[in-house]
Amino acid sequence: MWSYTFRRVLMTIPTLLAVITVCYLLLHLTPGGPFDSERKVSAAVLANLQAKYHLDLPLWQQYLYYLKSLLQGDLGASFRYADWSVNDLVAKALPVSATIGGLSLLLSLLIGVTLGTFAALRQNSAVDYLVMLLGNIGSVVPSFVMGPVLILIFAIWLPWLPAGGWMDFDVRYMLLPMALLTFINVSTIGRVMRGSLIEVMSSNFIRTARAKGLPTRTIVLRHAFKPALMPVVSVLGPLAISSITAAIVTESVFSLPGIGKLIVNGAANRDYTLVLGLVVLITVLTVLINLLVDLAYAWLDPKIRY
Amino acid sequence: MRKTTVLSTIASSVLLALAGHAMAAKMPAGTQLAAKQELIRNNGSEPESLDPALAESVGANNLTRDLFEGLTATDADGKVVPGVAESWKQTDPTTWVFKLRKNAKWSNGTPVVAADFVYGWQRFLDPKTASPYASTYGVFVLNGLEVSEGKKPVSAVGIRAVDPYTVEVKTPYPVSFLPDVVSNLNLGPVNKAAVDKFGKDWTKPGKLVSNGAFMLKDWQVNSKVVIEKNPQYWDKGNVQLGKVTYLPVEDGFADVKLYQSGENDWVYQLPPATYEKYKKEMPKDIRNAPMLGLRYYSFNNKDALMKDKRVRQALSMVIDRDLLAQKITADGQVPAYGVIVRGVSGADVTAYEWSKWPMAKRVEEAKKLLAAAGVKPGAKVKFTYNTSEYHKKMALFAASEWKSKLGLDTEMESMEFKVLLKKRHDGDFQIARNGWVADYNDATTFLTLVQCGSDQNDNGNCNQKAEELIKQGNQSTDPAKRKQLLTQAAKLVMDDYPMLPLLQYTVPRLVKPYVGGYSTKNPMDRYRSKDLYIIKH
Repeated sequence: MWSYTFRRVLMTIPTLLAVITVCYLLLHLTPGGPFDSERKVSAAVLANLQAKYHLDLPLWQQYLYYLKSLLQGDLGASFRYADWSVNDLVAKALPVSATIGGLSLLLSLLIGVTLGTFAALRQNSAVDYLVMLLGNIGSVVPSFVMGPVLILIFAIWLPWLPAGGWMDFDVRYMLLPMALLTFINVSTIGRVMRGSLIEVMSSNFIRTARAKGLPTRTIVLRHAFKPALMPVVSVLGPLAISSITAAIVTESVFSLPGIGKLIVNGAANRDYTLVLGLVVLITVLTVLINLLVDLAYAWLDPKIRY
Repeated sequence: MRKTTVLSTIASSVLLALAGHAMAAKMPAGTQLAAKQELIRNNGSEPESLDPALAESVGANNLTRDLFEGLTATDADGKVVPGVAESWKQTDPTTWVFKLRKNAKWSNGTPVVAADFVYGWQRFLDPKTASPYASTYGVFVLNGLEVSEGKKPVSAVGIRAVDPYTVEVKTPYPVSFLPDVVSNLNLGPVNKAAVDKFGKDWTKPGKLVSNGAFMLKDWQVNSKVVIEKNPQYWDKGNVQLGKVTYLPVEDGFADVKLYQSGENDWVYQLPPATYEKYKKEMPKDIRNAPMLGLRYYSFNNKDALMKDKRVRQALSMVIDRDLLAQKITADGQVPAYGVIVRGVSGADVTAYEWSKWPMAKRVEEAKKLLAAAGVKPGAKVKFTYNTSEYHKKMALFAASEWKSKLGLDTEMESMEFKVLLKKRHDGDFQIARNGWVADYNDATTFLTLVQCGSDQNDNGNCNQKAEELIKQGNQSTDPAKRKQLLTQAAKLVMDDYPMLPLLQYTVPRLVKPYVGGYSTKNPMDRYRSKDLYIIKH
């Protein structure tokens, strides 16, 4: 397994290089540059700005310069936020997104799996319908609608929680965004878990277990649970990544200083280095999460060996 | 002789104005202050920098205005008041002398001296600093433009420390509004020792040395910037607020929700189409006043169809600005019929004669113009704007005016903001959405929109006669004559219909009734926290 992990990590390098190259070209092809603004800067000032950020060099030289800095762990200077390097910006934003995204994913896993299990075991009962209803609401109501509704209820009508903002990992500021992300993720995990468990429960080895006279509790926990988790693990990877993309909306609604906000501002401002830095980060995270998911398969299914 | 008389009149009026003490928070008699003097104001976006040389956006300038103080400053009513300079005079048409107060100090306790301004200005104009505003203000300082273009050394910038407390500024031509220009913090002092010691990090909390009424306490990117009263500030006795938190909330609806839940005292700007609602719901909180800004549409004067003045005039004549302001934008904006907006110094507002005609007569005349230009009903015009509900609403209104009154079809093209900017700057459009907010309170900031070869002129028009009048005006040392010449130039150039002026900007926002010192007579929408205070509530 160690050699498999090592090979997978090595594979990250060409993936990363390909992603960076494509993004680099796309960014430079996009019309409008980082220094285009309502108040047009003079040709001389534009030349000064381009020289400062090495944009006066031929594109291939800029690209090599970027790769060289990247190898040294330097994501470059932000074009927009002149006082900060991209490393600074990412280092400040990542803990916010990771905390909210990570905790809500963990919560969604616990709640989603539990609800999905109950719904599967009591198929077509009131509990099942309720879980399915919640699941459907979570899937169809967009977060930019649900977020403001949560704020309206819990911050304005019942002034229990702040309407947004961030205060040094103060849990009060984290509850509403986490609730929103959890609700969305629970709907997916719950539905997948329900479907998967229903299928597993109707398979032959469960029938054998029942015939042996095992209590339902033991059947579910010891025999059905692990295989039923396989599809849940499959969706966990994309869900973890989408926690970052979902953050684009959540962070705007709750005014959070996370990665999502940087992505939006970076793209809108044509902040090339910031966007590339975030692309590198998201690519690395995607590769790592996919690796973890693959390793989890091996743990859940003894037939899978690397 | 005349020149001397005018100069001495200016000098004496400035000195008279300065005879009183520098004004800070103006509180009505009997105002009871709250025990906790803390304000939370939304700043609309994350500041791109706290370096006064690099600050470009409104948000960044709001912060540098609190952290730093220039030779002069502007108060809550937008009037020029003494800053670090306690007095100034124009000693000859192109020379100004500023006398600095001796008790001005940096937040580290060292005195603010003339050399700090010399360093600040040289650093601002240095091509290595690459300040986006270098050419905007560089034009007002002798050799400023040449230095920013790397054609002269930074030592050539027209600023000199005559002695530690006297700054002499040379201008390339008589700049009568220089005291207003130098209130901008791009032209503020910079503490060289701090920059030398910390390099690029000198603007970070714990390192930033500033000379304004406030000092930097905390800066969490995309979360908040916290500033606290500067105990070293020379006028600290007139500063009421102990702490100000600036939020970078961009989403207007999120901003209002924070306000409603009590976590924000100041909404940066109300989201579109909500002004009337909040005016009814929160009459004590709503604030709205015209500012020095113009919404307009650029005509591409080099386009095959738009190069005909008659077409441009017809398109401008039929837009009902009153209806647009009252029913479409419905946020208190003022109809505009010229490039100069109300409240600008240095030129009078001009308006087309037809602006007073009944609409039927305007339409009739416009139809004649189009017919004369050979444009028949059913002809197509192309309108380009950046994706936004607000701009879309305005564009649909304009298109319906052109269709219903002139029979013209409008092809609408919406795109991302940066793409629009690129198209506008490259002249790749027929009619495009545009807007301008003044950098300083003088007519010349608006005239740049229609001047020959100006970076801000997206229309591509040029009127040599108007250009000559502007030049004459700028050379004049007589303010009345200058005003007359610039007004004449504005009228002349607008008679060419290079652009379609629509509305004068307003900034509708919510401010808690307990925030004192907020004035609706602030045309630049620049509020120093020094002028604000919290009333007992």
